[in-house]
Amino acid sequence: MKFLSFLIGASFDDFRRNKVRTFLTSLGIMIGVLSVVLLIAFGLGLRNYIEQQFEELGTNLLYVIPARLIGEGGGLQAAGAAAIPRFEEKDVAKLEKIENVDFAAPYFETFSNVEAGGETKYTQVSLGDENMNSAINLEADIGRLFTKGDVDKRAKVVVLGPSLAEDLFGAKEAAVGKTVRISEQNFKVIGVIKSKGSGVLGGPGFDTIVYLPYKSSLRINPNKKFSALYIRVKSEGTIAQVKRDAERELSKTYDIDDEFQVVEQTEFLSTIASIFSILNGILVAIGSISLLVGGIGIMNIMYATVTERIKEIGIRRALGATKTDILSQFLAESVILSVFGGAAGLILAFMIVAVIQRFFPAEVNLLSVLAALGVSSAIGIFFGVFPARRAANLVPIEAIRYE
Amino acid sequence: MIELKNVTKQYEVGDQIIQVLKGISLKIRDGEFVGILGASGSGKSTLMHIIGLLDSPSEGQVLIDGKDASKLSDNELSKLRNHYVGFVFQQFNLINKYSVLENVLLPALYSKEKLPFDPTNRVLELLSKFGIYDRRNYRPNKISGGQQQRTAIARALIMNPKIILADEPTGNLDTKTGEDIMDLLKSLNKEFGLTVVIVTHEKNIAAKTKKQIFIRDGQIVKKYL
Repeated sequence: MKFLSFLIGASFDDFRRNKVRTFLTSLGIMIGVLSVVLLIAFGLGLRNYIEQQFEELGTNLLYVIPARLIGEGGGLQAAGAAAIPRFEEKDVAKLEKIENVDFAAPYFETFSNVEAGGETKYTQVSLGDENMNSAINLEADIGRLFTKGDVDKRAKVVVLGPSLAEDLFGAKEAAVGKTVRISEQNFKVIGVIKSKGSGVLGGPGFDTIVYLPYKSSLRINPNKKFSALYIRVKSEGTIAQVKRDAERELSKTYDIDDEFQVVEQTEFLSTIASIFSILNGILVAIGSISLLVGGIGIMNIMYATVTERIKEIGIRRALGATKTDILSQFLAESVILSVFGGAAGLILAFMIVAVIQRFFPAEVNLLSVLAALGVSSAIGIFFGVFPARRAANLVPIEAIRYE
Repeated sequence: MIELKNVTKQYEVGDQIIQVLKGISLKIRDGEFVGILGASGSGKSTLMHIIGLLDSPSEGQVLIDGKDASKLSDNELSKLRNHYVGFVFQQFNLINKYSVLENVLLPALYSKEKLPFDPTNRVLELLSKFGIYDRRNYRPNKISGGQQQRTAIARALIMNPKIILADEPTGNLDTKTGEDIMDLLKSLNKEFGLTVVIVTHEKNIAAKTKKQIFIRDGQIVKKYL
């Protein structure tokens, strides 16, 4: 007990006298732990974020997409990438006749220049009807959303995402009542939606999109084909039945093997989960590299530290220290350094995650914490003890004479 | 008693083999005050390191109170270095990051047995006796060479060893301080009956001992009793 407190005391004493060395060694471990924990926290955060976005859409929603996108196991299929808009208005009508369907809504998206007051933005244009607005949970912040009346009258009106409104008019409040030009046609801005956050992985989010009634512009969608259909069911319990009926109905017109797929929210979620398990794997690999680099730093410093202390080890041996005593001392120092650096890395990671959580649902993963701490400590301890062992095994007088 | 029987020591330097000790036999009895005298490179320091269990012979036996040192485990050898022998080096070999007090205390911390004295009190006692009590909280590199060597002697004594081995203890000191250190070692032998072995190349230092062993080229050439 006395020897242990002596060891710990001696270690701290040594750290106090070698502040730079102590700092550098701990820094290596700290960076290793910090990078692994943060990378994984971001990866998990990204997954949480995307899941949240889907969950916000509601669970009683089905998507009809113009290709088989999601495979049996939840993985994405390459064919999905080549999907072309193929659905028509009559499909919407057919789907609405299915039992327990609240509504079906058409959806078409494209990219186009949007001009207003001298500003031009190339952005996503989404076409739909009043039901699309409720399917994707759009809410008006300023002004109003378009209605069934606007759709039927082919009104030349648009609703803007708030970021786009700011980009075009300086402030979202200034947008309503103004005119924007899309495909050489003028549209009146009737509303700006509430912010729904920016897009995922740098893609366009709801906030930068122009929403307009699908009948209002033939130039934007000359083929009158839709890229997706939304089906809202009356209650969650009827999802499976509606999905089956929708598949049966649509397969009269389209090939179920590659021309369309009816997808549930949960299928999207499991697809996201499978994508993110790959992404997290990559993040772990990147984190492991920084852990390795940190580990090499620790290794160098530990090795140099022990080498410069071989004479001291020799003196201690001459005074009666056993090999085990020497190893215990260096083990204690390495453990303290590792724990210190690891704890600092963890505290820093928790602090950064806490700050980021205000904007982004980052999440600290216990397993990543344990792995990061374990690996960096193991490196610190191994390279602290391994050279010390070599020194302890020297004949004492050789260690004392070591220069 | 320490007995060496036909001890040899050789080093390999590259493909050359250097014979440092060539068959040394000697006995150091309890309470003796011995000087090992020899020129630089004669092998006298190597001899002392072997006597003090800091090094092991290539051949031959080292018997500590009749026990063959080569048959002892690392723990047993460490225990002997801790309890049985006290070292004093030419370079002092103090640990500069510890205070004088901590340096002297160090052997006590490596003792695996309960000590019959309070180590800190004993350190303070020794420091007072050697006139360096007021230097107890200094780092060794902040005090004079004589004070450093007194610290080293105090460290050698803390565990009440049977034998003090001093390798050129006055080598790094001026003449006056060197004489003071020699007087101190002499008094340890005379007043406390400690066995003291001093390795030196200076005849006048060796002359203060009661028994002298002359070493040349790794062999004992003369013994004076």
